[in-house]
Parts: sequence; structure tokens; C-alpha cells
Amino acid sequence: MATLEFDSGQCLERVRQHDPDAAVALVEALYPLVIRIVRSHCPERSDEEDLAQEIFLKLFSRLDQYEARAGIPLEHWVSRLAVRTCFDALRAKGRRPAVRMSDLSEEQRAWLEFMIAEESAPPDSAAGSARELVEKLLSQLPPEDRLVISLLDLEEKSVKEIAELTGWSPSLVKVRAFRARRKLRKLAEVFKRANRYEEF
Amino acid sequence: MKSFDTKWQQCMAQARRTAPRDQGAPFGFPARVVARAVVRQPQSLEGVWQRLALRLLAGALGALLLAAAIEIPHLRDARPLEPGVADTVAQLVWAL
Repeated sequence: MATLEFDSGQCLERVRQHDPDAAVALVEALYPLVIRIVRSHCPERSDEEDLAQEIFLKLFSRLDQYEARAGIPLEHWVSRLAVRTCFDALRAKGRRPAVRMSDLSEEQRAWLEFMIAEESAPPDSAAGSARELVEKLLSQLPPEDRLVISLLDLEEKSVKEIAELTGWSPSLVKVRAFRARRKLRKLAEVFKRANRYEEF
Repeated sequence: MKSFDTKWQQCMAQARRTAPRDQGAPFGFPARVVARAVVRQPQSLEGVWQRLALRLLAGALGALLLAAAIEIPHLRDARPLEPGVADTVAQLVWAL
């Protein structure tokens, strides 16, 4: 979790007194945190600025609900707001159009092959191709599954942290993660079968 | 399943190594967001009551001024009350 270098308490107090300079400073300080969450959950670059803006507008309209208490730093409150806004955006958008094998690059196919084959070594390719394949596979999942896998595997959050961010119970997080991984495996197998057909 | 999970984690570990893109706010973004937030600022109940009270006060003041403007020209024409009462009493006394 990013630590804010500015005095968030003082800044919030000024924002509540309608100081526009303090509001701008708050957005600048929180932007890296917000955009990191937006990019990991909604990787479409065209949407990210709109979504970040929506998160900040919600932040300003709900600022009165936030009270700095021990154990709930501003970053946690903003993260929760950002994750839930991303989740709402994913639900509103629905599932993306099916990705075909022909949409994948050679390097992405190699990663897919590695995941499905019984015995194989991980491909020696750039991290970007693995990331793109992961994003393509995740885009085929329902929003709940996509969110839980992004938080658990990409952001390496604990079950407890995910429960706090999403408002789900820890057992629901575990169940969703298990089901999501099962769906991912099936999805990867479907891709693999489709690849065989395309080769013929 | 276990094999897939292990390989998936390897793929994820590689995906996490992706160099993070620039995370600074784009030029003008904070000011734009703040401007929109000001426009979208919802009115608090206290603010609504305050505006309503001010309008009512202004209306009452206007009505008072109007009433005063109508009444003032007729003030000179008004006869004193005392002689009228005195006459009435006298008339009553004489009537008795």
C-alpha cells in the first residue's frame, strides 16, 4: 500500500472547508494509488482516466463519511472505494467479446501452451506477454471471478484484505477464487482445443 | 488441476514483473476533477433550509415594505381616535 507523503489529515480538513488547492493536492497524492487499482482491474487504457475520475468524484461526494480512525488510513478507504467502483464498472460492461486463439501473439500462445501441457518449461519471453495473456483470460471471466483473481494473484492481497476491500466474507473470497481458477483452467483448455482446430 | 495452478502462478509471477506505467496524474487532471466535483456537489439539508429561510425572510420584508408604502399616505388623513371616543362617551352620558 502506498504511503502518502503529504499530511492527509490536514489536507482533508482543508478540502472539507472547500479549499480547491487542497483538493487538487489530494487528487495528485492519491492518483498513483487509484490508477494502479484501475489498471489492474480494468486494463482497457481508453477507460482508465474516466474511471479514475469517477472514483475521485465519489471520493469528494462521500468525504464526510470518512473519519480518520486508528486502523483505517485514508489509503485503505480510497482503495475500497476504487475497487468497488471498478467492480461496478466491470459489471456494467459485462463480459468482453470472446478472445480467439488468432488474437494471441506467439509469446502469449507459448504461455498458454505451458499452462495446459503436462510437462513443459516456462517460455523465455518478456513479462509483457504473460501480462497480456493474463488480462485476456481474465477478461473472459465474470466480474466477481475476475476481481478476486486480480486481487489475489496479481496484487498478492491476502484473503482478509480482499474481504475488507470487497465487503465479501473470507469464506466467499476463497470459494470464488477456487471457482475462478477452475473456470480459467477450462478456458485455457478451450483455447488449446481451438488452436488445434485452427492448425488443421 | 494442481499442475495448472502451479503454472498459473508462474505465469502470474511473470505478469507481475511488468514495468509499471507512468503513475503520475496527467496534466490538468486534478484541476478538472476538482471542477467537476464542485459542480456535482450535492446540497446538504442544512444548506437547503438556509436558502429557503433567506427567501422567506426576503419575501416577508418585501410584504412589510409594500404594506408600509400603502399605509403611509393614509396616515395624514386618519382622524385622532380620542375625540371620537370622547364624543361617544358624551353621547352615551347624555342619552342616559
